[in-house]
Amino acid sequence: MEVSGLPVSASQRAKLASAGYTTLSSLSSISSQHLARDLNVSNEEALQILNVVMRTGRFSDLAGASIVAGAQSAWDMLLEEEHNKHITTSCGDLDKILGGGISCKEVTEIGGIPGIGKTQLGIQLAINVQIPVDYGGLGGKAIYIDTEGSFMAERVFQVAEGCIEDMLKLNVSQLKDVETLKEKMHPNTFLANIFYFRACSYTEQIAVINHLEKFVSEHKDVRIVVIDSVTFHFRQDFDDMALRTRLLSGMASKLMKLAKQFSLAVDMIGDAEILLQSGSVFFDTTKGVVILNQVTMKFTDGSFQLTLALGDSWSHACTNRVILYWNGNERHAYIDKSPSLRSQSAPYAVTSKGIRDVVSNCKRIRMM
Amino acid sequence: MTLTPENLIGHLPAQKCTLGCPILDGLLGGGGIPCNSITEIVGESGCGKTQLCLQLLLSAQLPHSLGGLSASSLYLHSELPFPLRRLHHLSTTILNHNNNPLDNILVRPLHSADDLLSLLLRLDSLLLLSPSPLPIKLIVIDSIAVLFRSEFDNSPAELRRRSNLFFRIAGMLKMQARRFGLAVVVTNQVVDLVESEGVRVGDLGEMWSSGRRVGAALGMAWASCVNSRLFLSRSDEVVGREGDGELRVRTRRRIHVVFAPHLPEGSCEYQILREGVFGVRLCVLGT
Repeated sequence: MEVSGLPVSASQRAKLASAGYTTLSSLSSISSQHLARDLNVSNEEALQILNVVMRTGRFSDLAGASIVAGAQSAWDMLLEEEHNKHITTSCGDLDKILGGGISCKEVTEIGGIPGIGKTQLGIQLAINVQIPVDYGGLGGKAIYIDTEGSFMAERVFQVAEGCIEDMLKLNVSQLKDVETLKEKMHPNTFLANIFYFRACSYTEQIAVINHLEKFVSEHKDVRIVVIDSVTFHFRQDFDDMALRTRLLSGMASKLMKLAKQFSLAVDMIGDAEILLQSGSVFFDTTKGVVILNQVTMKFTDGSFQLTLALGDSWSHACTNRVILYWNGNERHAYIDKSPSLRSQSAPYAVTSKGIRDVVSNCKRIRMM
Repeated sequence: MTLTPENLIGHLPAQKCTLGCPILDGLLGGGGIPCNSITEIVGESGCGKTQLCLQLLLSAQLPHSLGGLSASSLYLHSELPFPLRRLHHLSTTILNHNNNPLDNILVRPLHSADDLLSLLLRLDSLLLLSPSPLPIKLIVIDSIAVLFRSEFDNSPAELRRRSNLFFRIAGMLKMQARRFGLAVVVTNQVVDLVESEGVRVGDLGEMWSSGRRVGAALGMAWASCVNSRLFLSRSDEVVGREGDGELRVRTRRRIHVVFAPHLPEGSCEYQILREGVFGVRLCVLGT
């Protein structure tokens, strides 16, 4: 809503306009002292204007929502949580301990030693987020930020093929129209729906992450952001550890914000899922953010221990933390930190088709 | 760098450099060593790391139709002397359509980790103004381990400095690999793994060679720097007795994919012949 429609005196409207206040939302978060100074009026008068703004805002739904943007009751949050979508990992056991898959709206960190399958999991999620809504997916797109150069298109192609194959199988059993699905689904479509950024230095990495907010506002169907890995560039050339901590925490808060963001439904285009909530219409544009991390040796109490890289302050940055490790010849995932999930572990396998369940009682023989 | 996403379909098929043997290429998913990526070859001494590198230097010159990069290569060696005679011999058996294949191999010794770092800082000019007729598309560092195994103490501060250096070197290599579409190959040595050691690193790099339990040198930090890791192992096998009672011993060699973003774990036997390194039989895939 524009300031021009505000029920205040004409001179006050003019003063507001000349001071640069054109919309109600621009008035939503300033103090009366600030406004008084800007408009060159008395404090009482400024307070009076703000009161009018508040009242006007409350009666008009959209403007009201924008004025109290970010504030929600716990009840609303619970309702929202029921609509919260998960992105499947294609491994039933893993989905189970994750409460259905990787949560949209949250930041999940996944760490493990080289070769354990971090990148594979990242690729799998970038593919699985695209599973159409009809098949129980989100029908979204993915952003993949690659800092290590381990993202290989030929592998993504294979995983996409595996995903399509599984969908077809499911489809045959449900006797749906297999032919149209086959036509619609091509691995290349999956590849085209992954927005791939390669960052060759930490400056580039920060630039991409700063750019994300604008990018996702233009691509509202992005439902997952994968960063593979957050660590690589931050393990070189940092003599100033305080600077590193500042950069990392800045990045973490941007990612948190990105994950949580709900965008107000202004334009209703496409078949994006619509969430009806407290009378106003929202597009569900929450995004799962998956951060892959490396491990490092930590020297404590005279012995070396394996721990995720980037130090203690970084461990606060993510909502969930999953650690991948070898258990004998089996790959396992362990929920290390989560506000809502129980700490437990589950086995998973990396196959030619991607991440899958471990085939039970059929131990893989390592050719060593 | 632009802030627009890249077209992934344009990355297919990925450019690769053949190893000069279809069986070995098959183990690597067909095509060989990928460009835009760091591939590490780990193995104990005498298992054929350098042989494989030399072969790669030559096959990189092959035209695209034969699986090469039609490019020249840069060979950085820290183990002296440079095996020129072997390279020359290989060049006569592998390539005969190119006038003088040795013209397309640039060789530079490395004396220390700092030497490598300063070279990498100047790599741009070398790649842009290559003295050989073909562009440089392959960099081989043989071996990275020698540069780091002697120079650093075992104290936490020194180890931190060392791993910083790993990430700097790997970061620069990856950046140049990306800019110029380079295939980067580094070789690494092995260390014996002692059971009672305090550090438990899962299954990372635990392999058997010559009856010893070994792992790749340079530790976890360096392992996080490479994209793919190949491991060469050897084992001696008694196959019978000569007439005079001497044991006849045959060396069996295997090449393993330990991890790679585009490959399943797997392995395949290989032989080192006068004509080069060749895979034997079909690959046995691990999964």
